[in-house]
Amino acid sequence: MIWRLTAGAVSAFAILASAMVVNAATASEGAPIRFGVQAPITGSYAEEGQGIEKAVRLLAEQQNAKGGLLGRQIEVTVCDDEGKPSQAAICARQLVNAKVVAVIGSYTSGAALAAEPIYAAANVLQTSDGTSNKLSEQGFKIWFGNAAPNSAEAEFTANYLVNVRAFKRIAVLTDHSSFATGLADEVVKNIAAVHGNVVDKAFVSADSQNFTPVLTKLKSLNPDVLYYSGYYSDGGLIRAQMQQLGMDAVFVGGDANQNVAFAKIAGAAAVGSVIVNVPAPQDLPYPAAKQFVADYKAKYGVLPPSVFTLTNADGMRAFLQAIETTKGTDASALEDYLHHVKDFQGLTGTFSWNDRGERTGSPFVAFEMQADGGYKILYPEPAK
Amino acid sequence: MSGHTQSQPVPPPSRFRVSGLAGPLLWAVGLAIPAVFDSSWVAIAAVFAIYAINALSEDVILGRGGMFDMGHAVYFGIGAYVTAILNTSFGWPIFATLPAAILLAAAAGALLAGPLMRLRGDYLLVATIGFNAIFVLTMQNDPGDITGGSDGITGIGVPSLFGLSLASQSAMFWLDWVVLGVVLLLMRNLDRCELGRAQRYLKQDELAAATLGVDARKVKTQTFALGAGLAGLAGTLFAVQLSTVSPASFVFTESVTLFAVVIVGGPGSVPGVLLGTALMFVVPQIFRDFAQYRYFVFGIAMIAVMVLRPQGLWPQRRRRA
Amino acid sequence: MGTFIQQVFNGLTVGGIYALIALGYTMVYGVMRLINFAHGDLCILGAFIGLTLLTGAAGSGHSGAVLLLLAFVLAVVVIAIAGVVLELVAYRPLRKADRLSAVVSALGASLLIENSIMLIWGPDVHVFPADLLPATTWSVAGANITFVQVMIILSSVLLMAALYFFIHHTRFGTAIRATAIDQDTAKLMGIKVNQVILTVFVVGPALGAIGGLFVGIYYREAYFTMGWTYGLYAFIAAILGGIGNIPGAMVGGVLLGLFNAFAAGYISSSWQDAITFALLIAILLVRPTGLLGEPDAGKV
Repeated sequence: MIWRLTAGAVSAFAILASAMVVNAATASEGAPIRFGVQAPITGSYAEEGQGIEKAVRLLAEQQNAKGGLLGRQIEVTVCDDEGKPSQAAICARQLVNAKVVAVIGSYTSGAALAAEPIYAAANVLQTSDGTSNKLSEQGFKIWFGNAAPNSAEAEFTANYLVNVRAFKRIAVLTDHSSFATGLADEVVKNIAAVHGNVVDKAFVSADSQNFTPVLTKLKSLNPDVLYYSGYYSDGGLIRAQMQQLGMDAVFVGGDANQNVAFAKIAGAAAVGSVIVNVPAPQDLPYPAAKQFVADYKAKYGVLPPSVFTLTNADGMRAFLQAIETTKGTDASALEDYLHHVKDFQGLTGTFSWNDRGERTGSPFVAFEMQADGGYKILYPEPAK
Repeated sequence: MSGHTQSQPVPPPSRFRVSGLAGPLLWAVGLAIPAVFDSSWVAIAAVFAIYAINALSEDVILGRGGMFDMGHAVYFGIGAYVTAILNTSFGWPIFATLPAAILLAAAAGALLAGPLMRLRGDYLLVATIGFNAIFVLTMQNDPGDITGGSDGITGIGVPSLFGLSLASQSAMFWLDWVVLGVVLLLMRNLDRCELGRAQRYLKQDELAAATLGVDARKVKTQTFALGAGLAGLAGTLFAVQLSTVSPASFVFTESVTLFAVVIVGGPGSVPGVLLGTALMFVVPQIFRDFAQYRYFVFGIAMIAVMVLRPQGLWPQRRRRA
Repeated sequence: MGTFIQQVFNGLTVGGIYALIALGYTMVYGVMRLINFAHGDLCILGAFIGLTLLTGAAGSGHSGAVLLLLAFVLAVVVIAIAGVVLELVAYRPLRKADRLSAVVSALGASLLIENSIMLIWGPDVHVFPADLLPATTWSVAGANITFVQVMIILSSVLLMAALYFFIHHTRFGTAIRATAIDQDTAKLMGIKVNQVILTVFVVGPALGAIGGLFVGIYYREAYFTMGWTYGLYAFIAAILGGIGNIPGAMVGGVLLGLFNAFAAGYISSSWQDAITFALLIAILLVRPTGLLGEPDAGKV
């Protein structure tokens, strides 16, 4: 028994100690500027997480090829938070200890929230596509949301549904995720504010595929539009199942429906679906966006999984710009710069940050899927 | 599991003394972790301590009680949410929420034990899975606006002891480590007390135990209450460590992991469960650089451990019931 | 009325899929008392293998029906082999061990398969080609019923019936039943228990592969974490019907599908899963060994 105990103890400490040595070695040199990626590399959100990692690595590589940042090389440290809050908190500490200047991530609001106070305490900048109000409510100066907050999208959506399209019976559908319920709640609130009529707010279980029961129920309420605030993999399927059930309401989806897979899953039913978002990566009118998507495709052989890959890339690009402009990596100087930067030229549009770190001034559009797989912007009408 | 092969009625004194000392010694050495390692490893050690308590509490029900509980994250979650709600909405200090977290989790355990006891083996397992799903959905749907829905609850305060704020990661680690020490003492006493003995009788032969006057109903209820209460305790520590709770931390897969920790480590064996916890929670942290391949390898490792050591890595010492 | 009939068909379709997957669960359980947590992942692996054939042969000029048949054959063969390998590597060494050890080995296998899918095919959502099957839709009393739905319901009934016949009316089936009742006695009677178990690990996963491919064809998407969800629901279906019992798996699957449909349609979609699970627990409390399961005489 005793040898076992000692052996166990020794090996346990050997493992811990060796890990620590590795850590110490990587943290000691000062030359490169280090960026952290905290993202779900495994688990249900792996696709999005791996997309964020790829985008950040691509940007770092491009910057290094141009001679680096302030003449220093960029290094990227990635930590897999699995989309779990408990892992996120550990990742945050590991990235802080790895002496990163800024962190890109995480994909889910929950994981971003659990890490945020740790970055704040260490004065490490954080940018994430998380849209939960709680991320900006805590008043941390290091927080820079790179996707527009729910409130802005909801206001645009409500106006579009009620005033522009004049829908009389709106059904709202969401999954249970933090992001989608937050958006759905805001949309319902904003519809009420413009005196629209929501006939029902219903839920689907994400990933269950079996949405016909709730759609059958919604069909019996005769809505003229169905608004879905969740993700594309379910959204495409919801659109297909609406057609299968003979439901002729218009499908309007929130920004997370923006993915090439949506149209593939929905098949023929995708035509005529409307999605509210900043324009799609490959359809973004800005040359920089087209170039980035082309570079991404060239390096990885696939398109970015969603527009959030691009918004996170925007977060990283803003950090790069801030470091170049302030000629240093001092966190308070960077925060000050970013809070006051006017009209940052993002891949996903021109935007700024307010003092709570919320992205402002994003141009939302409502676009319709076309038979050829492309998109047509319906509103606001493009200037000719 | 606990075989009928008899070991000696009283373990040889030398072995007894050594293994009796080695545990506390290791624990005491553990106190030095913040002095040796950087804060991310201190955080990992703190999470290890929390999950160790959680796994030991699962072991009370699964390993010692022999009841297939695959919904243990419910009790862990109740503890975490009770602390979060009382602290953020009602302004209770963290330590004041602790008894409430333990008691409410234990009460939930005792309450669910009533119907669960009617079920055996795999049917019990599915019912506990069901309770886990219901719990998570309830937290997400946020009845009465107290659980914060899918976002959960943020801004949980820092515990303070005698006016001393335990804000640093090291202080929190010491808190977790001390609580783990207390729980380990408790587990050791459980082995020797009446409940522990009754559990062993029941697990080996329920019918025979009944003829010996063991009240199966009572023992099973107590087992669930104890296991759930300890999980509630771990939940409080978890809420403090993360300063945020959300439904994602208490989903069914977390329960599955706890279940696996106990079986991989060795059901009914304290060192086994600790080793299992280290394997399932700490080792994946070390292999972070292999992010994508991590769980692929992990799956292989789980099969390998079970095939090579079906009783668990550190099986329970065979003892006379 | 249309809405009600529609909900019944909604429930029957998904219930048929759960039932097919549950059959594999219940067969393995019946013979080995093992909850094969890797079963759902095997099914989805089957879907991915079928998908690879379907997309790979897309431009080959063969008709959708031929390709589909080939996809089913390939998926069934590969998954049956995978099932046998799983049994030999992960479960056979644990035959004499505590049954929870085998359960954890199965959990490990589940992780292994799930992450293999991610490493081979990537973490993104994969889409099945459209137009494999006729898009015919019938309107019955205001409810829309599609060709695929009818095909899934009919196939699962047929496969269940075939399996029932195989188990109850063939010599090999008798051997399986004898092994299920008592392995040691079966051995004494001259039954080759290992061979029986291997057969179970051929038939169960093969049925699962069909179920998995149905999931892909019906919903037209597949991704690596899907197996866990379907495996869990199928396991619950098997328990609900009485695990180890073949008609029970069918009844359990269909009931689970119907519960889910009615919970969302008539009570509350936000509590859909909670209602389903509450019903499940309530049924188990009334019938502690499932709907068609035999009363347990104190055996754990």
